[in-house]
Amino acid sequence: MESNFRTGLSDFYCFFYCMGEKWKIKADKYTGSNNFIKEGEQLENYTKYQLKSNEELSSLLEGKDNLYVIACNKCFKEFDAIDEPDCDEFLKFAAEQGKTVTGSTKVDFLCNKMHTERKLQDLLPEGTENVIVISCGLGIQTVADLAEKPVYAASNSLNYRGHHGMALTKKSCDACAQCYLNITGGVCPIVDCSKSLVNGQCGGAKNGKCEVDPNKDCAWEKIYQRLAKQGRLEEFLNQPVQVRDFSKVNFKVINDYVKSIREDRLNGYYGGVHPSERKEFSEHIALKKFPDPKTVVISMSQHLGAPANPIVQVGDLVKVGQKIGEASGFISAPVHSSVSGTVVAVEPRMHGTSGREVMAVVIESDGKNTLHESVQPHKPLEELTPDEIINIVKEAGIVGMGGAGFPTCVKLKPAKPVDTILLNGCECEPLLTADHRVLLEYADDIVFGLKAILKTTGAEKGIIVIEDNKPDAIEVMQEKVSTIGNMEVFVARTKYPQGAEKTLIKRVMGRKVPSGGLPADVGVIVDNISTVKAISDAIQTGMPLVERVATVTGEKIKNPGNFIIKIGTSVRELIDYCGGFTDDDVLVKMGGPMMGFPLHTLDVPMMKGSNGIIAIDTDETKEQPCIKCGRCVDVCPMELSPLYFVKYAKEENWQAMKDKNVMDCVECRCCQYICSSKIPIIDSIKAGKNAIRGMK
Amino acid sequence: MLITQLKAKETITSLTAGKKVFVINCHGCKEVHFPEKEAVELQKELVAEGNVTGIVTTDYICNPENMELRLKKHMDKIREADLVLVFSCGVGVQTVAEYLEDKTVCAACDTYPVPGFQGVTPLEYKCDQCGECYLNLTGGICPITACSKSLVNGQCGGSKNGKCEVDSEMECGWERIYRRLEEIGRLDLLKCPTQIHNFATDDDVK
Repeated sequence: MESNFRTGLSDFYCFFYCMGEKWKIKADKYTGSNNFIKEGEQLENYTKYQLKSNEELSSLLEGKDNLYVIACNKCFKEFDAIDEPDCDEFLKFAAEQGKTVTGSTKVDFLCNKMHTERKLQDLLPEGTENVIVISCGLGIQTVADLAEKPVYAASNSLNYRGHHGMALTKKSCDACAQCYLNITGGVCPIVDCSKSLVNGQCGGAKNGKCEVDPNKDCAWEKIYQRLAKQGRLEEFLNQPVQVRDFSKVNFKVINDYVKSIREDRLNGYYGGVHPSERKEFSEHIALKKFPDPKTVVISMSQHLGAPANPIVQVGDLVKVGQKIGEASGFISAPVHSSVSGTVVAVEPRMHGTSGREVMAVVIESDGKNTLHESVQPHKPLEELTPDEIINIVKEAGIVGMGGAGFPTCVKLKPAKPVDTILLNGCECEPLLTADHRVLLEYADDIVFGLKAILKTTGAEKGIIVIEDNKPDAIEVMQEKVSTIGNMEVFVARTKYPQGAEKTLIKRVMGRKVPSGGLPADVGVIVDNISTVKAISDAIQTGMPLVERVATVTGEKIKNPGNFIIKIGTSVRELIDYCGGFTDDDVLVKMGGPMMGFPLHTLDVPMMKGSNGIIAIDTDETKEQPCIKCGRCVDVCPMELSPLYFVKYAKEENWQAMKDKNVMDCVECRCCQYICSSKIPIIDSIKAGKNAIRGMK
Repeated sequence: MLITQLKAKETITSLTAGKKVFVINCHGCKEVHFPEKEAVELQKELVAEGNVTGIVTTDYICNPENMELRLKKHMDKIREADLVLVFSCGVGVQTVAEYLEDKTVCAACDTYPVPGFQGVTPLEYKCDQCGECYLNLTGGICPITACSKSLVNGQCGGSKNGKCEVDSEMECGWERIYRRLEEIGRLDLLKCPTQIHNFATDDDVK
């Protein structure tokens, strides 16, 4: 026994090469610090490669010099070490052999072609003659396709057939393409039977053990017992003889298929996911004015930036559209009354999205909806100057209504010249249909609002972006803009988070907003459809932002719908009006299922950014250890590595998080959605962002 | 990571005929492929027949702990059913079958291998994890997967106009290897000793 016996590794197995045969022995039981693993249980390590033996390596290196080494950080194993040791081991070996190494790099998920391609650009230093790759066969082939130098493998892929499933369970499916489990009571004859027999036992079993491997239970005895227990033996005996069709697994067909789904998935921008849309609950329900609430609670903090200062007192009489809170800084917005009536309280009240009490003005409506005298139509658009329009938008308290709540007047005065305005009508969040209805029912207002923005910013073109799951809205808008030279409709294939500013710009314009930058850095402003409708209202009727369109939906809402709702209306009233919940086991969120905020009480008011209230089924899961499945990296539209954020947050290593660009995260939750270990990744990201902001 | 495809409708209806059914959908690998539309349609029909006691849509049922947590609150409806119909890969069906040992648990899907499942992203070529990487001898093109016959010592001689004799739509893997080696000036690699493929799996040599 000799050569590459490695110690001190996290692997559960060490491999010995001996006389050309492989021997595997069990190494010391895993004793790491991960507290998810119960005693007696082991997380299996599905490391996909191991270094070739020293003899093989020395013959490989014979006559080759000036090596560049690329090592994959492995996948499907517990995420305990950032760097895998194999690269250093190889470098040591190469040094012993007197080889010149021009450099080395360790890469995560080498088979992720998009990321690898970017990392490999200009990576190979001058003078490199040979590239050595330490990875499974997929990584090696990815590099061989990309590098212009000869590529050599310093590792062998390990033969673990059939470990599919995302969680690391035992080998249980061989992907035969003709599932036999229905006949066999859920025990797989392909994997569990040494001979993969599909029509019953071979007769060779002794005392219930397989004749091929005496450590293995006879699969067909297991199948028999399971079926006997369920009283299905008769059913089994009546089955026709099964013939396994080996042509069902046709690599070419599968390869072509995978190629097409990858193209589809990477369409427009990297990453993103396709959660079930479930928009059918409410997409065809026309807008309805929500009955006037008796009391409204108007929060002073409905936008990004400093809260507004209340300018009314208890006992004051107010009217619809009257300013009740004054903006208190450059990034802030005024707040207006949505009803006419009496101020009954000016005090902190529970806030829907922050989860704590925030200053609010509580108004009891007199039911008359008397307009405030300041609510007057402005001059025609043609006569308004850009500064006048910005002032109208500012005074109307208009903020981004897609949820972020950034004051719109600030956006309209970008620091850099802007050539294109993108109107975000994607509504990529599942379930929500508010913007969809606005597009259908307020098309003229949207065109008017866009005209105003174009005039204000001097941009040449306005593009209304709508996802292809809203064909009726596309048709309506296309007709509206067909006679307008500087407006068009862009139809985007559905993918979440299409509506996020940066992904939208990449998808439509092919421009990439730099890390830490704003859309204006690439000459674009993005505004939400509902925001544009509010701008149109502010100019045409003089009405500030006091109501909005929102969807009340979800599988647990009795009667879903789309409503025009006064800001400050209680969520409880909305739910009651919609017939309440179907049962008690319900999760209520303000916003959509992906980015919405869970509500712990229904006694919170609707705000300018509340595009919906959803009531959905609860989901109870327990966080499992990260297995480096790499899916979070695969779906992150900002091209980050979310798995590192979880690890670094646990270590409170904020600097490392910053270095991994955590500040670029848009909190779209794709990573958390796709996580096979159900890790609340966003909590770690938020903690990191807060700590980094504190570092400054 | 797996590709799943719905079984033929007749197969599924023969399973469910006259039975009360509880349905479990697994969306864990949906981003690779899950026949969502077809599954929804089929389930609508089952519901219309009035035999469905409940439908759960969840993810990663191959993770037993979370699968149990999620099924717990549906146990009444599961008990009511004669059959639990699982729309997932074979791993998921078996995980549920093991948990619900007394129930008939059936698969509504067939499972296909995803090229590159052991990596992160499904790729258009495949590593067969043969355990003896040949890529050094072949210019980075895998003879195990690129050649229909997985030959490791050169072409079989049966290719016609560069196409494989087994599958005429497939390029001959060894012609590709030859061209790649020629490009990088390493045709000498073809003179390496004869390779012998060891078919033993790691399980066999445990």
